[in-house]
Amino acid sequence: MTASDGDHRFDVIVVGGGHAGCEAANAAARLGADTLLVTGYLSRVGQMSCNPAVGGVAKGTVAREVDALGGIMGRAADRTCLHFRMLNRSKGPAVWAPRAQCDRGLYPRAVRSLLEERRGLAMYQGMVSSLILEGGRVRGVECTDDSRFRGRNVVLATGTFLRGAMKMGTDRSISGGRAGDAPSLELAEQLLDLDLEVGRFKTGTPPRVDGRTVDRGALERQEGDHEGRISHWEERRGPGSRPCWITWAGPEARAVVEENLERSAMYGGAIGSKGPRYCPSIEDKVVKFPDTERHQVFLEPEGLETRELYVNGLATSLPPDVQRRFLRRVPGLEEARMTQPGYAIEYDYFPPEQLDRTLRLEPLPGMYFAGQINGTTGYEEAAAQGVVAGINAALDAAGREPWVPARDEAYIGVLVDDLVTKGVDEPYRLFTSRAEFRLLLRQDNCLQRLGTRAAELGLLTDEERRTLEDHLEDVERARAWAEDYSPEPESVNGYLEEAGTSTVDQKRPLEELAARPQVSLTEIAARDGSMESPPVSEEALTVVEMEIKYAGYIEKERERARRLKEREEMELPPDADYGEMESLSTESREKLERVRPETLGQAGRIPGVSPADLQSLLVEVKKRRG
Amino acid sequence: MMGDTVAAVATAPGRAGLAVVRVSGGEAREIGRRLGLGELEPRRASVRELTSPADGEVLDRVVATLFPGPGSYTGEDVLEISCHGGALAPQLVLDAALEAGARRAEPGEFTRRAFLNDRMDLLQVEATEDLIDATSEAAHRAAVEQLGGGLSERVGELRERLVRLRALVSYDIDFPGEDDGPVDPAEVEEAAAALEEELSALLEHAPEGEMLREGALAVVAGRPNVGKSSLFNALLGDDRAIVTEEPGTTRDAIEAVVSLSGYPFRLVDTAGLREDADRIEGMGIEVARGYLERADLVLFCAEAGRELEGAERDFLRERAGDGGLVPVRTKADLADGSGAEDGTERAGVEWTRVSARTGAGLGGLRERLVGRVYAGVRGRGETPLVTRRRQARALEAAREEVGRFREARRRGLPPEVAVTHVQEAGRHLEEVLGIVDTEEILGEVFSSFCIGK
Repeated sequence: MTASDGDHRFDVIVVGGGHAGCEAANAAARLGADTLLVTGYLSRVGQMSCNPAVGGVAKGTVAREVDALGGIMGRAADRTCLHFRMLNRSKGPAVWAPRAQCDRGLYPRAVRSLLEERRGLAMYQGMVSSLILEGGRVRGVECTDDSRFRGRNVVLATGTFLRGAMKMGTDRSISGGRAGDAPSLELAEQLLDLDLEVGRFKTGTPPRVDGRTVDRGALERQEGDHEGRISHWEERRGPGSRPCWITWAGPEARAVVEENLERSAMYGGAIGSKGPRYCPSIEDKVVKFPDTERHQVFLEPEGLETRELYVNGLATSLPPDVQRRFLRRVPGLEEARMTQPGYAIEYDYFPPEQLDRTLRLEPLPGMYFAGQINGTTGYEEAAAQGVVAGINAALDAAGREPWVPARDEAYIGVLVDDLVTKGVDEPYRLFTSRAEFRLLLRQDNCLQRLGTRAAELGLLTDEERRTLEDHLEDVERARAWAEDYSPEPESVNGYLEEAGTSTVDQKRPLEELAARPQVSLTEIAARDGSMESPPVSEEALTVVEMEIKYAGYIEKERERARRLKEREEMELPPDADYGEMESLSTESREKLERVRPETLGQAGRIPGVSPADLQSLLVEVKKRRG
Repeated sequence: MMGDTVAAVATAPGRAGLAVVRVSGGEAREIGRRLGLGELEPRRASVRELTSPADGEVLDRVVATLFPGPGSYTGEDVLEISCHGGALAPQLVLDAALEAGARRAEPGEFTRRAFLNDRMDLLQVEATEDLIDATSEAAHRAAVEQLGGGLSERVGELRERLVRLRALVSYDIDFPGEDDGPVDPAEVEEAAAALEEELSALLEHAPEGEMLREGALAVVAGRPNVGKSSLFNALLGDDRAIVTEEPGTTRDAIEAVVSLSGYPFRLVDTAGLREDADRIEGMGIEVARGYLERADLVLFCAEAGRELEGAERDFLRERAGDGGLVPVRTKADLADGSGAEDGTERAGVEWTRVSARTGAGLGGLRERLVGRVYAGVRGRGETPLVTRRRQARALEAAREEVGRFREARRRGLPPEVAVTHVQEAGRHLEEVLGIVDTEEILGEVFSSFCIGK
């Protein structure tokens, strides 16, 4: 790549090499778009700026959805995994949640190598200083080193770098997008000039400690599961295994925080913006939950080749000396040496109602936003948006129809729809409760849900398509096996008794047995040698087991989704003048004008638009169509 | 449907001193100007001459009041014109309003607009209709209570608690391993059990609530000439005027709506009908079979002091366990009133002795009738009354879902599966309040509304 790329015009230029940017670039390149990724440091692509883990409740499912669409995150997590756990095992499989602790140092290297596998993906190390705007649309980007790149569509995935400011205590504010990285100021200024709505959020990280100074005897050790992975495509194992550690910050640590509250950036007045309620700092916990006696502290391994530990649960914007002091009040950390202080970071975001469902910025053709710039938090949430923006930027460049997953199809669909429809009033994080079709959106059936679509779109390689086909066939075989095979009573009764359910006195089809809540199909298959062994993978069995066990419930959700479909597919005219629709309440008119929903279903989810308004809207639209 | 400005005569037709023409919509103010009412101070009754927009002719002297939206009945600008009553005046005023740009309102359209503009929820809409239709003090009271939001509040509160229950379960799913530890399963069970119980409490008096709107169906039965018609007329008292012979029902019976001690009844008498009127075969007891099946109360009449015949005994025996049976000894003034009549008392039949002629015992009978069907309504205390089939159906469905939730947990189904029942229960309560948009429900509710409301 030459510094100034002359007349070459990329299909898609992605600005920012975090979790959103990398997925966007990867997805665009997979679709055959001539793609360029511009990022501050190529060695830091996919950097884990917060905790060194991928997944968790809902997030793990998103990571698998991103993977099913050919994404990077799942593979990078598996390749660098130190500790895998399926969370929520005590609940039903619909909410099982894979989580991988990763080696923070190795993760970006895995991401970089995965990016380099993509043909048609160019990379450039540079800070973008401005967008090239001509004729009312984006035409490319310009870097601080004066290189210029022309492109048809630009995906902005700048994370917390837009006017990022890190805070520790009340008097230290360091300009930057992440510890050790400079902020993006010029670009932010230009964006502000575009007359876009802008807001400011904060998020925070906890301190890290030297593991050699931690008293492990006082900690609870948490081992990973023996098996499990996030990616559907490869069976790569991590470089080794490390446990996590659990301890509790009790009244002593709370007291230190309480005494020093006014020295906290957040409580001392240095930060006015809003942080995520669901990921509170220790200051928040002390102030908002005065009756909670102790807070869980989860020590995560930073990497295989370092003993450093990430002190999850104690995010803070207190000055370093206070951080040292409260750490010492935590059992097991009495002698701990802090290696890096925690800090809060404030950054610009753009209220996402300004985007359409492909994450395109409506007022500025050619511009897409993905990740934290849209007011979200979390690697997985960022990655999900990256995929959607990357795919659609590439589809648009190729003159193809856009693709937006529906709310009953993927958490990614829920996420994007929530963002562009409801907006955000705090950093947005996904939960299973945000999905109205929780039983359909499982971590076990991501390939079922998205694989075929991914293949049709052209996101998958030939090899991945074969894997997909194998898996789908596998599921069919597993289904047939469960339906057709009736084991002898004596080969299952032992297990049934053990599982605490009644035995059978004649041959019953497996399907019938698996419908009982206590009975596991995979267990049956694994237990008894005398039984005809299933000719399928465990993954396929899990899918089928779920579908059998909760058949009635799943069918009900499908039915509900079907009923809503009509409304979801009823498109609203893109040029609708809501201000003129007098039958709507003033509030609704304003909201509709602001969000500009694409479908009637989306309109119905805008807070403040009542079912009654929806009916009026339907009438108005029909009237105007004639 | 909405958006334009509508007008209608809001009062009943007929000779009357006053009538009200109501205009609602964005144009209401302008229409007032076109009718020569000039600028009207909001919420202030002003005497004006109302003129025809066509030729300026004075049509009536009226009192006009402008209620600007959104604080009006419909939530839109509303113009209320009190004009003279009678056959012509209101019609002329309405015609003038239509000429000035309003559209003729459909039945219930004002209230529908109030609902669509969030001025009322669906329960209050229904209460509005009930209030108009109320024929007894008790029904009136229940409607006023419901219009005031009593039931809405209660259902709204239950809905919030369902949301909290859902949150409790979801918290556990979305935040495993938090500071507070997992939610205690007993806490979830307790919350669910309490909700189920409270939904049951709401439903407990629903059948009576429905009766309160329609009137409890009380059928007078008995052999010919036992004094059924006299009893019927005596119970009607001054309300005799409202005896209706509705086409279609008169074939079998005369039906009258009557308020007894403030509670509504539909009293049915089969006396005086054709000889071949529908009889219970072989029993010689006059009562239309169709009514008997639907009756909430059966006033079984026999003269005081007379031995019962076989057929009468059979009738009593058959209905012995039926809470609706009220045995009445008529013509008490003619009997000697000496204790036991014929041993049926010993068999547990509680007779009420009345005399239609002297009025003796009628008060006691009224109390007995009210007590029989409306005891719950009377003694329900603070529990708001459910008065409609629609409401009861949805509440019942919600209760069932909460029950299924508990059952699913007992059976060991995982939380994310079980909790779908709580979600479903919430949707049913939203249906009660009209928060979910089902055109069907709206259709059902508004179908019986009158024009001008």
